Amino acid sequence: MSGIPVAAAPRRAHRTTAVDRARDFLGRFLRRPDAIIGIVVMVVFTVFALIPTVLVGALQTAVTAEGPRLGPPQAGFPLGTDELGRSMVNLTIHASRISMVIGLLATLVTILVGAVVGIVSGFVGGRLDAILMRIADFFLVIPTFVLAIILTSLIRDALGTGSAEVFGIRVGLLVIVVVIGLTSWSSTARIIRSETLSLKERAFVDRARVIGAGPGHIMRRHVLPNVINLIVANAVLVFAGAVLTETTLSFVGLGDPFQPSWGQLLDSARGVGAPSLGAWWYFVPPGVCIVLVVFAFTLVGGALDDVLNPKRRGRR
Amino acid sequence: MRSGFLASRLLQAAVTITLIIILNFLLFRAMPGSPERILGRNPNVTPEILAAKREKWGLDKPVIPDQLVAYVSSTLQGDLGFSFVARGQTVVEVLAQRLPATLLLFGLGEVIAIFLGLALGAYSGWRRGGPIDYLGNGASLLLYSTPYFLLGMALLLIFATALGWFPTFGMLTAGETYASIWDRLFDLARHLVLPVATVALGLIGQYAIVMRSSIIETLSEDYITTARAKGLSSLFVLRRHAIPNAMLPTVTLIAINLGYVVAGAITVEVVFNWPGLGTLTVEALSARDYPVLQGVFLLLSVSVVLANLAADLVYGALDPRVRT
Repeated sequence: MSGIPVAAAPRRAHRTTAVDRARDFLGRFLRRPDAIIGIVVMVVFTVFALIPTVLVGALQTAVTAEGPRLGPPQAGFPLGTDELGRSMVNLTIHASRISMVIGLLATLVTILVGAVVGIVSGFVGGRLDAILMRIADFFLVIPTFVLAIILTSLIRDALGTGSAEVFGIRVGLLVIVVVIGLTSWSSTARIIRSETLSLKERAFVDRARVIGAGPGHIMRRHVLPNVINLIVANAVLVFAGAVLTETTLSFVGLGDPFQPSWGQLLDSARGVGAPSLGAWWYFVPPGVCIVLVVFAFTLVGGALDDVLNPKRRGRR
Repeated sequence: MRSGFLASRLLQAAVTITLIIILNFLLFRAMPGSPERILGRNPNVTPEILAAKREKWGLDKPVIPDQLVAYVSSTLQGDLGFSFVARGQTVVEVLAQRLPATLLLFGLGEVIAIFLGLALGAYSGWRRGGPIDYLGNGASLLLYSTPYFLLGMALLLIFATALGWFPTFGMLTAGETYASIWDRLFDLARHLVLPVATVALGLIGQYAIVMRSSIIETLSEDYITTARAKGLSSLFVLRRHAIPNAMLPTVTLIAINLGYVVAGAITVEVVFNWPGLGTLTVEALSARDYPVLQGVFLLLSVSVVLANLAADLVYGALDPRVRT
């Protein structure tokens, strides 16, 4: 009995780095009911986004629509139909793919810009830091949504309206991805910068510098791995914001009717006056999806932030 | 010290506004369809006429600094150009027609949301883990996840279409003649209820979340423990010690959030056909009326910057620690 802990002790201490830390993290993360609910919702919508055609068949068009126009829920159309007679189940599931993919790509752009600006700004410091953070503050303060509207519209006019596709997404929608990325990187940059500032003072960075490592190497191999937790937690929250922004941009008329996202469906619903006609089935399904996804990602992001961020551990 | 703080904040706001104007200029330059290209389509326009026009419009001068200086100085004089769509009207005139409706809707919604949101946040933070906190926090997060316009569509469906309590669109009933100013005001009030409720509901969630975490942070401070140790009642501690201090960061956050709130306000107006800046933005967007869009952007950005400046100054007046 007494021999086991003595023998196990040194090995435990040695292994604490990777496996134990992961187990500790998972244990703490999965003990939170909000995180579990969030994960379940995320998984469901990821499945919708991955295999919409398997679930509900190809996206219906004005030609392949079979239902009555703006029909309420009925046999064969459990969530009713839109003004062209397309099934709302079909449209909503297919819209998951568009909304989620645009949200994901926009998150990647946002995080990439935000992390690079944050790390470089915090690590290099001096005048560059002052300029970059001035720009970040500028984007934090101004109403970026109005800027996003103008930019999206301008870039589309400049590119012309083609039907070329990248990643199965039409170029017009990819413009939205880039615009969301360009207008929402600043809070990520601020967070990453402040963490980089404190990492910069740590002994292992000095050690690397003494060995002769250049700033680029230190940023990539020493700073980045230490802020990756923060980046992941932030990315989940950024995704929620990106989905909301895409929805709002589509709602004001910047969506693509040929590749409808949830926001585009809501815009069409408003266009035909669904709320005044009492056609709740036209906007409730996409609306519920948006709320669920944003809610789930906000919950998971908050939980990750609490668990991964040492400053917030033990609060709440 | 005091004047140094004031000066630095004023300078910051001035720099931000200058950046906004420069950004607007760059956007103008990026716009498709330069004047000479459009003139060039007319076969009767000779190169001499084109050159004369270019000189008249200042297009023969270098972009930086001449054109930029001309743009900035006319913007500062309140000249934002002409609307493409509303013929003969300047952008400023178009904006001025729409501004009052937005101010009314948004101002009312903001005030209601600040009162209710802060009260809810303060209470849930104070009774952390209690039933109100649990429900309030969940509801706040849910409201925060809901796009404003979706909320608006739901309210419209329930209270205007199904129940018929409120009108479905606009600011006043179209074609109505009023016996007195009071009838007119009553009609306006009926039209206001749903849009204002939407804006307020959309904001309450955010404000409650911010206030809650601020209160929780404040309650762990030493001076709260001291106040409790003196034997003051908890309600007194909350009202006189915790809330005033917790309000400080909330003021700044409300001001910073204004920029995001603008997006929501635009879409709420669209849902209710409210004749404000939001519907103007969407109309201008679908007609590619870029001068008006940029005017909206300039107006909203400058308002947000000024609101932030005001919040900073209020904060400085309330909290002597930040006057550096």
